[in-house]
Amino acid sequence: MRKGTQLRVDVISFAAALVLAILGIMFVYSSGLTSSGQLVSREYVRQIVWVVTGIGMMVAVAFVDPKRIFGIAPALYLGACFVLAITLVIGREVNGARSWIGLGTIGGQPSEFAKVALVVMLAWLYARTPGWAATLRGFGSGFALALVPTALTLLQPDFGTAMVFIPIFLGVALVAGARIEHVLYLLLLIGAVAALVVLPFWAQILNDTPGAIARGAGDPTAMRIAFITLTAIFALSLIGRFVIRRPVFTVSAYLSSILVIALPASVVARRVLQDYQVMRLVVFADPYVDPRGAGWNIIQSMTAVGSGGLFGKGYLGGTHSHYQYLPQQSTDFIFSIMAEELGFIGSLVVYALFAVLIGRALYVGVNARDRFGGYLTAGVAVMIFFHFAVNVGMAIGIMPITGIPLYFLSYGGSALWTAMLAIGLVMAVYHHRYQY
Amino acid sequence: MRYMQRQSALSPGRAIALVVVMAIVLLTYAVRLFQLQVLDGYLYLRRAEQVAGRSEPVFAERGQIFDRNFDLPIATNRASFALSYVRGDRNNDFSEALLTSIAQLIDRDPAEILERLATTRSGRFDPVEVADGLDLGAVVRIAERAEDFPGVAWYPRPERLYPFGDLFAHVVGYVGQITPQELQVLFNQGYTATSRLGKGGVEQHYDTRLRGSDGRRTFTVDASGRRVADTESMLPPVPGHDLVLTLDRDVQELAARALGERNGSVVVLRPSSGEILALYSYPGFNANDFATRGGSAVFQQLTRDGASPFLNRTIQAVAAPASTFKVVMTAAILGEGLVDPMEEVECRGNFSFGNREFTDWLSTGHGRINMYEALAQSCNVYFWTIGSEYADVDTIISYSAQLGLGSATGVDLPGEVVGLIPSPAWKEARLGERWRGGDTVNMSIGEGYLQVTPLQLANMVAIIVNDGVAYRPHVLREIRDSTTGTVIHATTPEVITRADISPEVFAEVRAAMRGVITEGTARAVITTPSVPVAGKTGTGQIGGSETNWNSWFVAYAPFGEDVPEDERVVVVVMVDASNEWEWWAPKAANLILHGYFNREDYAATVADLRRTPGALWYLES
Repeated sequence: MRKGTQLRVDVISFAAALVLAILGIMFVYSSGLTSSGQLVSREYVRQIVWVVTGIGMMVAVAFVDPKRIFGIAPALYLGACFVLAITLVIGREVNGARSWIGLGTIGGQPSEFAKVALVVMLAWLYARTPGWAATLRGFGSGFALALVPTALTLLQPDFGTAMVFIPIFLGVALVAGARIEHVLYLLLLIGAVAALVVLPFWAQILNDTPGAIARGAGDPTAMRIAFITLTAIFALSLIGRFVIRRPVFTVSAYLSSILVIALPASVVARRVLQDYQVMRLVVFADPYVDPRGAGWNIIQSMTAVGSGGLFGKGYLGGTHSHYQYLPQQSTDFIFSIMAEELGFIGSLVVYALFAVLIGRALYVGVNARDRFGGYLTAGVAVMIFFHFAVNVGMAIGIMPITGIPLYFLSYGGSALWTAMLAIGLVMAVYHHRYQY
Repeated sequence: MRYMQRQSALSPGRAIALVVVMAIVLLTYAVRLFQLQVLDGYLYLRRAEQVAGRSEPVFAERGQIFDRNFDLPIATNRASFALSYVRGDRNNDFSEALLTSIAQLIDRDPAEILERLATTRSGRFDPVEVADGLDLGAVVRIAERAEDFPGVAWYPRPERLYPFGDLFAHVVGYVGQITPQELQVLFNQGYTATSRLGKGGVEQHYDTRLRGSDGRRTFTVDASGRRVADTESMLPPVPGHDLVLTLDRDVQELAARALGERNGSVVVLRPSSGEILALYSYPGFNANDFATRGGSAVFQQLTRDGASPFLNRTIQAVAAPASTFKVVMTAAILGEGLVDPMEEVECRGNFSFGNREFTDWLSTGHGRINMYEALAQSCNVYFWTIGSEYADVDTIISYSAQLGLGSATGVDLPGEVVGLIPSPAWKEARLGERWRGGDTVNMSIGEGYLQVTPLQLANMVAIIVNDGVAYRPHVLREIRDSTTGTVIHATTPEVITRADISPEVFAEVRAAMRGVITEGTARAVITTPSVPVAGKTGTGQIGGSETNWNSWFVAYAPFGEDVPEDERVVVVVMVDASNEWEWWAPKAANLILHGYFNREDYAATVADLRRTPGALWYLES
């Protein structure tokens, strides 16, 4: 133990989170200004309250021994799932999703906190038994744990938040030693379903000459034939795998099973997808298909970001945002207003702050005293990274529009507290790295 | 407790793989950001400005138009408002309900608004003017409910007002929206899709002088189309110049009343300078009606009217000069010495040429008659004889041209037509027929293919009065700066042609024309005791009609050699064949000349002439 020779609190994570949170307050304030310089929103006041309380939570968590967190992990997870479930019944609808629970004005979005709960739960699962993640059952059980909050959030329905849980699982499973073929299998499956869902829509609405896959995926008869053929191939591969025992059958079983699952899954998914979600996927390929409707957000966001230039228009000097061309500018599109006012240089600073937070979390994980701490921080890193990638990617037009917040910056208490709690966990692992 | 201690936390390999993946993503995002903000930044900046930036024209005050008295305008501007609509802001275009309620508030026909929206080609973010000529009340009604009408804006746009209604309709013209076709032609001269321009008359001919240049107000709007404070800047408009015309509203009024409601036209000009004092054509239009509710319907109706109210009959309509052409023949006889003017020709009321038989208007015949008597009595047989036996067609053509026929006078008004002096070459080329002697005979009394405008005949009389000098007829006297009143341009008389005919010939022609009044065809109607008149009547048969004829009268006054030059005026009246025949042209000229020389208006002229017994026998009281 080198007690006293090093700061025991993780100053780097704390500082990066603090700077981001302060930037968040500044730009929530900026987004509340109208073109005439009038402040029409008091959101920033509430954001200050959440930042202050969030920092308190973060610091409090930082001093909790990870052992205790390990001990309550299953309870935390079950609790989160339970609250998610009752939210579906007694929750309040926000933006079309029954995602908010609380009394009066006090309350929050359980789906946000469920993300941290899942991180803790997965770390617990894979830390308990070394090598568990590398087994098929271990991989499967972790996936199952991730599916529960995914399904409950989808039912709200909040597609954006729901799609966060699987990446968190993949991240934790990966660092916990999951087999590459398992991870790859899941990725391929998701990719195949997404492709089969999206391609026909793209072909249909963008008026492109549809490729063979797009044409096939849009044609029920072709889908049925493909499904039967693939099932047969899969069955034959299985027979080959176990009777002839040649490796080639393993590969063909692996690949054909992905499609056997993806085909019906995509049919179901396309039924479930709402029109506006389909349009979001379509305008992602070409926002000018519907420039006044679904494409509006992408176009306006890119315009705001691009018009910022190298040095930006200066704090509170953004025009595109203040003229209210950007919807949800304090939440989903907070990065657009930042990029417009801070420019390329300022945006890179924001990138760097996230890179520091994520990198620091992984560094803490590598140097943690135990697997649980390591998996925990890796999960946090993946969670923050995924939100960053999706939200910023959307603002700069390389990700489809999904309403998920940019941690620390977006207006909203639940997301902010979730992020603070997550960094608190990193700090806790760091703080207790020499304690055994 | 199965909490595992110190059993290697994270596999560094997996952690590094994770870092690599994240770093690649982060780098891609940075590159993308660089592309958006630095490489293409100017593009997006322009787009942001384009989306948020709006501009609207600040219309220049159009110059006023005055008559020569320069006291009351005959074309001016009245405060008025226009409504514009920007489609770009909306997801949808004008909705049915929105359109109906706007139309109702401003008291316009929804179809009119829709039509202007549809016919104006412009970008999404360019305002389209959907209604104009609105009074303050209409704008206030819209403004009160501005929140209900996103994308709708209003601005002052002065409307043209013609205080004299239809009196100067053709000579002044009117102002209208630029059409896409006009814009294509005029684009390079600074006109835009929202421009208005003069159509017809002085408004068109001097449009570039009158219009000034529009200013522009630029400002910024937010996503709902609301103006952002403190973003306005303005390029001020430059007002147009005022015009002072040579027209005299008293003479114009007199001419209009004297012609009355008869399809036809009147030209009054001053031969010593070419200044036009009155230029009136009937039927006409009142351009004030175009700018009010149902204006476009009024306009449409006028354009379909068979009597062609937009036609300026003084310069845009041609007819055979009929007997007025005998003046040209008289000049040719005297100038070329074709026959002794005192030599008499026997007129028995008819004339044979080849196998054709011509009948004089007086079928009993004029008896033995010399040139002066022939012109006075308008004897056809005399001039047929000249045309068939003494004058060759080239001589007639030469004298016609020297007296200004067959070519544009170059008046400063749009759309002047040239008319026609037929020639053997022309007939060959156009009709593929040989010129025959009968054509020359016909031409000798101003019939056949000859075509002239009333202004050309006025110019012809002016040349006779001026001993062969023709001044360009014009309506513009001065261009003045509208704010300071300084004269920027003053028209000086411009000689366009000089006839190669001796002054003695013109003196004799004038004497012969005086004979028309003193003992000839016009004696009964030119009854004004105030001024000695010289002139010539003309009656042209149109399309073989037995009942309706064109009625011409060309004249000048005062007759006499010791009259100051600029006191003389030429009067040409043409009443066309569509009217019931009443031989009105010389009668109208009589009223105009009497009124002009006594400085009286129409009512006073009529009253005055009634005091002379028999002078107004043709006007029922």
